[in-house]
Amino acid sequence: MGPFLTALQNVLGDPRVVIVIFLSAFFGVFVGAIPGLTATMAVALLVPIAYWLDPIAALAAVVSVVACAIFAGDIPNTLLRIPGTPASAAYANDARNLTRQGKSDLVLGTALVCSVVGGILGAVVLMLLGHQLAKVATAFSAVEYFWLYLLGLSCAVVVSSGPKLNGLLALMIGLLVSTVGLSAVHSKARFTFGVAELYGGISFIPAMIGLFGVSEILNNLIRMRASQKGKTEYLAAESPVSSTVTGWQRFLLQPVRSLFGSGAGMLLRRKGHVLRSAGIGALIGMLPGAGADIAAWVSFAISKRFSKKPQLYGEESIEGIADATTANNAALAGAWIPALILGIPGDSVTAIVIGVLLMKNITPGPDIFTKQTELVYSLYVIFILANVILLPVGFLAVRAASRLVRIPRAILLPAILLFCIVGSYALNASYVDVIVMLTMGVLGFVLERHRVPLAPIVLGLILGPMVEERFIQIMTGSDSLIGGFLNPQRPLALGLAVVFALVWISTIFIQTRSKRNKGNPERE
Amino acid sequence: MERPHPRHLTDRLWIFLCLLLLVSAGCGRKDSYPNRPITFICPWGAGGGTDRISRQLAFQLEQELQVPVNVVNATGGGGVTGHSRGARARPDGYTITMVTVELNMLHWRGLTSISHEDFQPVLMVNRDAAALFVRTDSQWSTLAELEQAIRANPGKLKASGTAFGGIWHVALAGWLTTIGLQASDVTWIAMAGAASSLQELMAGGLDMVACSLPEAQVLLNADKVRCLGVMADQRLPAYPEVPTFEELGVNWHVSTHRGIAVPLGVPESRFSILEKAVTRAAQSEEYLQYMENTGAGAAAVPSEEYARFLEKTDKAFGEVFAGPSFQGVKHKCGPMFFPLVLSGLLGVCLVACIGSGSLRRVSERHEISTAATLDMFILVGCVILYIVTAEVLGFVLSSAAILLILFRRMRLTWAVAISATVLLVALVYQLFAIGLRVPLPRGLFGW
Repeated sequence: MGPFLTALQNVLGDPRVVIVIFLSAFFGVFVGAIPGLTATMAVALLVPIAYWLDPIAALAAVVSVVACAIFAGDIPNTLLRIPGTPASAAYANDARNLTRQGKSDLVLGTALVCSVVGGILGAVVLMLLGHQLAKVATAFSAVEYFWLYLLGLSCAVVVSSGPKLNGLLALMIGLLVSTVGLSAVHSKARFTFGVAELYGGISFIPAMIGLFGVSEILNNLIRMRASQKGKTEYLAAESPVSSTVTGWQRFLLQPVRSLFGSGAGMLLRRKGHVLRSAGIGALIGMLPGAGADIAAWVSFAISKRFSKKPQLYGEESIEGIADATTANNAALAGAWIPALILGIPGDSVTAIVIGVLLMKNITPGPDIFTKQTELVYSLYVIFILANVILLPVGFLAVRAASRLVRIPRAILLPAILLFCIVGSYALNASYVDVIVMLTMGVLGFVLERHRVPLAPIVLGLILGPMVEERFIQIMTGSDSLIGGFLNPQRPLALGLAVVFALVWISTIFIQTRSKRNKGNPERE
Repeated sequence: MERPHPRHLTDRLWIFLCLLLLVSAGCGRKDSYPNRPITFICPWGAGGGTDRISRQLAFQLEQELQVPVNVVNATGGGGVTGHSRGARARPDGYTITMVTVELNMLHWRGLTSISHEDFQPVLMVNRDAAALFVRTDSQWSTLAELEQAIRANPGKLKASGTAFGGIWHVALAGWLTTIGLQASDVTWIAMAGAASSLQELMAGGLDMVACSLPEAQVLLNADKVRCLGVMADQRLPAYPEVPTFEELGVNWHVSTHRGIAVPLGVPESRFSILEKAVTRAAQSEEYLQYMENTGAGAAAVPSEEYARFLEKTDKAFGEVFAGPSFQGVKHKCGPMFFPLVLSGLLGVCLVACIGSGSLRRVSERHEISTAATLDMFILVGCVILYIVTAEVLGFVLSSAAILLILFRRMRLTWAVAISATVLLVALVYQLFAIGLRVPLPRGLFGW
């Protein structure tokens, strides 16, 4: 308990650290809420400032920026259907549909509460099991990753609404688009038509902004023309605010109740689900490479499988949103496990963290728990504190952002388009990215009119190069096909392969059964 | 808000004043170089080794030059994107590039025509020698033992460290050729980078990893990996216990290098200002301390010597790439294997979808009216207009133009359309370019 108390004193007793956490939280929410600007970018922008801070304050800044930026990604996702992170793409449709019904408060409140709880539970996992889990991370070789990626891709199809065949089609489109650029393994240009800018491949951030954001703008244009003339148009239905309350009640109590009342109530009713999602998040998030994204999808898929209302998933499921956001934020702490213990970054954020640690003359490694006990415990405290602070800061951000949907559509749509353009360009300062955004926007619009879900495209785009890389690594390293992919000496890989097979068998089984029962599989 | 009501004069005045403040904030400028933010191109992703060094230097440079220095991660194509953009940037001294060792490699592999001859080097800031690692629990404790094992089972042992043909691959292949073996006697598994290779080494998927010492520092300190030797001409000060290959009887050195360069044709006066600032930054206590902490090798090789060094390295790599090691390697799955499989699957899916009728449109969706079609075309056209004009006109004019078109199309009055445009453009510009310092198209006027 000794080091823990010292850590508490280090963090809470130092007003500078608390102030840093607060400021970083605002900064994180702000950056995360702008489409196209990622949590990684927010942290990278922070690095020069971190130089002036002492180690604990610097870590506090990074932790709270990331936690807040990841949550803030849900704000444009909910209000404008522009996912801030690939992880939020899993439930972009659900959030949008609920917003159209005027339930944006419900979505954002749930996302906020679940993010906070997920973040805290993830930190608890890091605290209690960090050292043991690091061993699991070292057991993952190319084969295990290959099956894990396939499992993640399958989840994207399983959770998609409508006919599964269309989901599969979307996934294949995403995977195929991901092969544009230099192949990771051979360094040979593919489908680049001599354009050097395409060597880097199709970046998923502009693609995501296009697929969801731009196609949603196009959808809105149609809705605008189709509705009555002479009436000012808004993005969402009016949320039911009772006008009888006045004064502070109207500005504080009412919004607090409408945001948190629903989220907290749901949390209490679904304790088991929350724990499950946080566990999945922390476990998958810990694996270096695409952790948080896969975690959200897998959690969403498992949530759907055990739900009483699976038909709502991918359409308007608040339960799905809750479970995915929980896993999403729990994964953040998970990514720190390999970073702290093995010095291997779990994602680009922890890569920067390792840089910050080294800058402060702290070397990550298995002995960090014994040599830097105070620092590690402070980190735990920071994780929890940052997530607690997210609650009020996120609340303010949600209140401010909710006004967006009250701006007339005629002004809002061009403004969103400008933000889409700027956000796509900001990533790489490349016009190719803007073209990608536009193309994907039109593609997304066309596909959606044919009931092809968009979310699997995003996951295909992200995981495509990784699947290919792992596939070829296994092929190069082994003599026979079976021996490579189903190596009996690697039980973990076999286990993942079995789960993968089970997911598909059960999906096909459910599909054919519902077809027999209702004769109309599309409606599910 | 059916239609904008005429407001009180004071209201309008206030809005106008606020707008003026927004637009004009940060407009005061000096005349001398540098008087506006400098773009610092980093060809590698945020969080990597090159990015960290770039950001550290950018921070130092900012204090030297008294203008913001913004790091832009122009990633992709194994460095092609960043290096090409850096070489083709306007030679006005406002774009500098962190060039890496790949500048000496990419053109030999036919990936780009850009080479060190397209850059004017300013200062080399870092050099890291390649080293060879095995697991601590492996059976090889010296380089000689590993060499024996490779000779005994050619092609059986697996190594990685980076992609095929990357710097660490060249390092390993060079070692093998120097001791009279073939590069293909060790199977090179292409991995994304040193971090994932080291992880694969720990997981048992690889037998050895070639990468720099700082990249493996954590695992080395934790006694999880063993370093068999470093390919430098003398022992590294940070790792005095690691023998060099030369001591072990192998005359082969490879190192990565990173340095700052500008496109050809930067005016002499500006170049010397930049050179002085970069040199001071690279010799600052903060930078040296940072490099020492990360274990990376700090350097400060001045322009002319750096140019000669690039020339020499380039020749050496040319020989490696032209040699039989790289020409003779066959891949089990060619680059088009995966896309072909995917196209096949996509085709099957498409046929199945059409066959089952699952692509039918949903009837309750709104039908698209002619006006809406026109709306969509105008919107798409506006984005294209922006893409075409932004590089010349700059962000402010281009975005204002497309916003105005769209607002008018949305049947807003001129007054509302213009004020909304001015407000939005100013807001976005202040937010992105000045607040968050993310790149916006600059155009010929600089805004």
